[in-house]
Amino acid sequence: MHIPNALLDAKVVVATMVLGAAGLAFSLRCLEKKLGESTTVKMGIMAAFVFAAQMVNFPLGVIPASGHLLGGVLAAVMLGPWGGAVVIAAVLIVQCLLFGDGGLMTLGANFLNMGLIGTVGGCMIYSPLRRAIGGRNGVLLGAMFAAWISVILAAGAFSVELAFSKRGPEFLRVLSLMTLVHAVIGVGEALITGFVLRFILMTRPDLIEGLDPDGSTHRRTTSQGEWVGIGAAGLAISLAVGIFLAPFASSFDDGLEYVGSEEILGFSPTEKAAKSILPAPLPDYHVPGLEILSLKLATAAAGAIGTIVVFGFGISLAWTMNRIKIKSKARNSNPTLAVADAGSEFDAF
Amino acid sequence: MRFDAIERHGMHDAPLQRVDARIKLIATLLFVVAVVTTPVGCWRFLMAEGLLLAFLIGLSGVPPQELARRWLGFLLLFGFLTMTVAPSRPERVEYGLGVVALTLLLKDSLAFLGTLLLAHVTPFHKLLRGLRQLGVPLTLVATLQFMYRYLFLLIDALDRMVQARRARTFRRSGRLDWGILTGLIGVLFLRSFERSERVHAAMLSRGWNGTLRTLDESS
Repeated sequence: MHIPNALLDAKVVVATMVLGAAGLAFSLRCLEKKLGESTTVKMGIMAAFVFAAQMVNFPLGVIPASGHLLGGVLAAVMLGPWGGAVVIAAVLIVQCLLFGDGGLMTLGANFLNMGLIGTVGGCMIYSPLRRAIGGRNGVLLGAMFAAWISVILAAGAFSVELAFSKRGPEFLRVLSLMTLVHAVIGVGEALITGFVLRFILMTRPDLIEGLDPDGSTHRRTTSQGEWVGIGAAGLAISLAVGIFLAPFASSFDDGLEYVGSEEILGFSPTEKAAKSILPAPLPDYHVPGLEILSLKLATAAAGAIGTIVVFGFGISLAWTMNRIKIKSKARNSNPTLAVADAGSEFDAF
Repeated sequence: MRFDAIERHGMHDAPLQRVDARIKLIATLLFVVAVVTTPVGCWRFLMAEGLLLAFLIGLSGVPPQELARRWLGFLLLFGFLTMTVAPSRPERVEYGLGVVALTLLLKDSLAFLGTLLLAHVTPFHKLLRGLRQLGVPLTLVATLQFMYRYLFLLIDALDRMVQARRARTFRRSGRLDWGILTGLIGVLFLRSFERSERVHAAMLSRGWNGTLRTLDESS
């Protein structure tokens, strides 16, 4: 999702640069207030961690390709929203300057998408969800859902920037398809985030930002009734997302058609010609059977299905986490010993 | 270490390597801006920019095949993004789809190679010092310095963990459990977090007060 140099328009480049720089300055200010002089050490090493973690390739099974962690929400869960944003900024700068991954001109846009909208925005979804569910399950489920949404949000921001760059009337189609593709990619991100967080919750829960130092928080186990409650919450959110996305998509469509119609803007002759010459701009996207209406429905469905899938994975991860915790507790009734045990098992790598 | 090739050329004593990092940074930025703003159809400009870059690559002594190898790795991404964007460019009417796509691809490649050349002829710490002298906030530059300092250590640690895991698990290669892979990331997180605490404590005990000093700063 790193945007190369020549893709965006000059005005979009300038606008995203200004927004990105302002956001980064604000994040750094917030962080310095909180961490003091340890900011640079901690953020530097955590940025190096995210960079290294992105190099672990996950086999996708059916497809002969592999995916990797993006890490924005994971960093935000452990370092707070501003810490996550700064970490992503450092990673993006090193990737751009050292490896040419992502353009110099689009550094602002990339940071805006992944650092501010993806990470800080994802954190804004994570914190209320986590508080609503509560405890370690809240951290896990909230982070997984936020990771999924953050990928979609970043992709959506990318399509908005693209749309501003080329003034195309095909914005909705691009947005819908980006959402659809990234709804799938986001499930992978949510799964990796969930697995890593489950591991950390089982070994060093005290490191999670804002969790009780004890790590056990309020509830040790979740009763059957509470699981039903969590499942119902997931279902409700998925329906809400689906219902929310459908009119959003359609209203955007109408809005763009409205703007695109000549009475409003008066398209320039070349663009009019372009419109008439090209009955279907973006032919690559013109998949038969994927017309605008079905795209709208598909986007809404992707929102709902994705939420259900992410919550399903999240609940199963949380369930196994609690089971493993209980088992290890039963084995050697001292919880700290159990924690040390789980840690050493992996530390031997 | 997997990335030491980038640093290696920065240490050579060649004309480009001797230039001040600030000048190289600004020149690269100007080059990228020039490439990106070249309108479609201006083949002469594009060719001149390409020739300039080729000349500079020759001057730097960086093996072209190394740059080409990296460029090929990115070609797929460039190609994909170009094909999604090119059909909706307004210039398409005048020049046709192929020309617009080719120009976009060329522009992306030139900008990419320009940035990569900068990385190859300038050691990263000099680049960061140049950024600092150009007014980038100290906190950001220092964070990047720490990141670069520990990046290779963490990647090496990860490599070792992967190797150890490979040595002990008998599985068909390529189909690894996600639980194991995420366990690697989790352990790496714990190690880096604890390392950051240790490093911070060690720096405090040596009288650190938040300002970074490097040996080559005085010169």
